[in-house]
Amino acid sequence: MNIKILGTGCAKCQRLEQLTREVVAELGIEAEFDHVRDMKVIMAYPVMTTPALVIDDEVVVFGRMPGKDEIAGWLKQT
Amino acid sequence: MDILIAALQSGAASLASYLAAHVLLCLVPAFFIAGGLSALVPQRSIVRFLGPDAPKYVAYPAAAGAGSLLAVCSCTVQPLFAGIYSKGAGLGPAITFLFFAPAANILALSYTGVALGADFAIARIVLALCFGIGIGMLMALLFRRGDAERTAANAAAFTGGDGISRKTLIFLGTLVALLISGTLKVDWLTAPLFGTVLHWDGVSAAQAVLDRLVPVNQIKGEEGLSLQGLTLIGLLLAIGAAAWRGLGQVDAGFSRLTWLALGLTAVTLVFAALGVQAGTSGLTITVTGRTLAVAVLCATVLPLARRFDAWDMQQWLWETWRFISMIFPLLVVGVFLVGVARSFIQPEWIRFIAGSNTLLANLAGVVFGIFMYFPTLVEVPIARMFLSLGMHPGPLIAYLMADPELSLQSILITAAIIGKLKAWTYVGLVAVFSTLAGLTYGAWVDGTSLGTLALIIGGFMLALTAAVQLIERAQRAPAR
Repeated sequence: MNIKILGTGCAKCQRLEQLTREVVAELGIEAEFDHVRDMKVIMAYPVMTTPALVIDDEVVVFGRMPGKDEIAGWLKQT
Repeated sequence: MDILIAALQSGAASLASYLAAHVLLCLVPAFFIAGGLSALVPQRSIVRFLGPDAPKYVAYPAAAGAGSLLAVCSCTVQPLFAGIYSKGAGLGPAITFLFFAPAANILALSYTGVALGADFAIARIVLALCFGIGIGMLMALLFRRGDAERTAANAAAFTGGDGISRKTLIFLGTLVALLISGTLKVDWLTAPLFGTVLHWDGVSAAQAVLDRLVPVNQIKGEEGLSLQGLTLIGLLLAIGAAAWRGLGQVDAGFSRLTWLALGLTAVTLVFAALGVQAGTSGLTITVTGRTLAVAVLCATVLPLARRFDAWDMQQWLWETWRFISMIFPLLVVGVFLVGVARSFIQPEWIRFIAGSNTLLANLAGVVFGIFMYFPTLVEVPIARMFLSLGMHPGPLIAYLMADPELSLQSILITAAIIGKLKAWTYVGLVAVFSTLAGLTYGAWVDGTSLGTLALIIGGFMLALTAAVQLIERAQRAPAR
């Protein structure tokens, strides 16, 4: 599974990565992480604002901070 | 040596009176509101009005709304600006958003209102709104060719998304009411309800010590430090100590320190709203309408907050603390340095350059704003210093418009997103419009009637809107 966090390095983005890593560890999933900081690459995704979470090249959330349960739900679906 | 001591004392005095007088009833609630906007208002609720197909009359006001509601710090401004420009409503609304955000977010607005006066805050928001939309339209007009070639947007980024829920509106409304009741100067809030005298013989001696340390100087606008102010600074430090872990680590769960920090904040707000006067025989404590209003509103926040999920509230407090820890230290340093600088600047210089509402004076304000870079909100104490040194309100507004919008740093970031030519055109337009804004406000202060000015600005805006609409139509016609 490939997980991308889109963010320009703001505090929220760091925190989203940290939360997602925690959830991944709790669920025991194999996943590679990628923190995308380049504005041009970020804008190639259908997002308007950061932070955004992308699982297997599909944007699951952007512009707000999801809770751990939500993240776990998305991870289980894919 | 004497000069150095006087300078440091001036810095300390401005810091003390700032902490005691301006921060509490205005900035503390404003930080909590900013945190709430950032954590509880889903960005999609506003972004959905900024899609590529949004009509102009929706997109421009929505861009302004996004500027004041979503963009409290620059880390939100940049991605949102890039998003609106490259995926959404296009260059015009993106520019409106960029221009409006630093002038109209809740922190800037409430701080301007308290430090400089409500009329400055109102002038700042009204003029920024008019000219922000004006500059956006002009930019769209100037670069209409390039704008039409933008890549087709992915609609998924704009559809869906919920509105702002009712409980969020009520919650934020209560916090805004708290902010307003803490700062507004109207009769029913300032009227004393009842008072009592606390007998303490040492009171005048203690106040005399404070007056020697932080002298009151009416002419220079230095307010000195009261006993109440000293207590408030102590309480602020206590809040900071408790909040460091209590709010900074709230994402791991509410701890005892969280409650301590919140409780102390409420107590401090209520205490700041009390009237405390040092007399010869003791302290006269007066309870005013403001005290009651602040206490009642503080008490209502808790049951309202309980209606949210714990996660949402943790988010709220975490965001609030993030804003405080990011902006507050810069403000403290900035206010101190402004105080130091103030003791070196002669009022005659300021009066000579910008003492009256002339074109040159307004230009001077704008140029100073462009070449000086101050961190978020520090422009306000600087403006306050200029005002007390005798700057005319017109050039002051010109400076306030130009400074947060334009700095070398923000110009470079903007240029990276929209290209050099557009970025520098934007800079030029902001300079021109800030000067106009200053002249307008200055004319109002000097006695030109509001109706005349509204007519001029309104006519200008109408002409611009009509021009944009006409050109849009002309552009679409050959495509059919």
